[in-house]
Amino acid sequence: MPASNDLCDKTGPPGTIYNRVVVSHLRLVSPPAPRLNADDACLDAFQKELDYVYRTLRRLGTAPSEVDDLAQEVFLALRRCWADYDSSRPLRPFLFGISFRIASAYERKRRREVAFGVVEVGDAGPGPDDALQSKQARALVLAALDRIPLPRRAVLVMHDIDDVPVSEVASILDIPLFTVYSRLRKARRELESAIRRFLKEADSR
Amino acid sequence: MSRSQPPLLPEVRALLDHEREIQPLPATVRARALARAHAAVVAGGRAAAPTPAPRTRWAAAAVFCLLSVAVGASAYQIRAHLATPPSQPPTPTPVPPPPSVRSAPIAQVVPEAPGPAPTPPALSRADAARAELRLLRQARAAVAREDYAAALRPIAEHTRQFKDGRLTEEREALRVKALAGLGRGEDARRAASAFRARFPRSVLLPAVNQMSPSGR
Repeated sequence: MPASNDLCDKTGPPGTIYNRVVVSHLRLVSPPAPRLNADDACLDAFQKELDYVYRTLRRLGTAPSEVDDLAQEVFLALRRCWADYDSSRPLRPFLFGISFRIASAYERKRRREVAFGVVEVGDAGPGPDDALQSKQARALVLAALDRIPLPRRAVLVMHDIDDVPVSEVASILDIPLFTVYSRLRKARRELESAIRRFLKEADSR
Repeated sequence: MSRSQPPLLPEVRALLDHEREIQPLPATVRARALARAHAAVVAGGRAAAPTPAPRTRWAAAAVFCLLSVAVGASAYQIRAHLATPPSQPPTPTPVPPPPSVRSAPIAQVVPEAPGPAPTPPALSRADAARAELRLLRQARAAVAREDYAAALRPIAEHTRQFKDGRLTEEREALRVKALAGLGRGEDARRAASAFRARFPRSVLLPAVNQMSPSGR
């Protein structure tokens, strides 16, 4: 496996010493080379999938105030890993893998800094009935997803929302197939339970 | 464990189907994110070239650790060296000067700053984001073709129109890059120092440090 793959697999939280060392290290050891169009291809891909990256980060529990920064982290990581991307395959699962690692690092940091986080469901807002219902439905899904531990949530989002086959989920998340099935089963139970609870609370108000 | 999964409840399935459709981002958010990505490409130079020879994860990790230690040791030596400057007179803290002060190095970024420029009309948020993005695209394109003097013009214009705009962080990173590219080392160091002070947690900080490593 190329060394750059290792670095792609170990994306640290934003602004950490680890990341700085990785970035500095890459720049120090990179030989001068003519400008490649890989940057343009990477920018183009990021631009096309920007909506997806933002939504994926939100589904993986990133707070709205942090999404901009983490999306930038995703782009930087994508750029580092671009040579490893097989362009004959769909880009979204690849982006999901990067987003998941960055979101995981972010969650670890958040857990250290905020012992008892508050679930943010800030998506609902005033508007026509349909739009409001749509926003509320999205907010409900995000809030319910937020109740599922990240490793299981990632499997559920990839398979049940992004329609990625389980074999590819296993490959992207680097876990055994058996683990994908067991996480998916448990995550679905947790999701249903959270949604039922939220709906019951809404009915009782 | 069986691979057959219990089906989701119909109402939960419906919610997930609804969630599957991804709403487009607001234009301002999109413009900001893309400008940051563009700026990162410029500020960070070229993407790392892939290592051609395959190696095992452990070997790569070992090499990485060794290099990290080497980088860390070098950084320590540089810092130690910088920490003992040979009887350097105290320099005043660089304060971002107004654009019209010709003696301040960063202000020289604005070579043909118009004097009493009329205040631009108030723009809507989307228009402002587009205008910011347009200016920084110009700067980025100029930096990409290594025409650093040309890059400073849109940077100065952005500073004039959007002093504390949404893309200020990217603008200042581009400024460091352009000044360093022009060989104005002291100006680049001042700009990098101001950048570090203003954006201590910026994701562009490693790139800025790389461009002007001895800024502090």
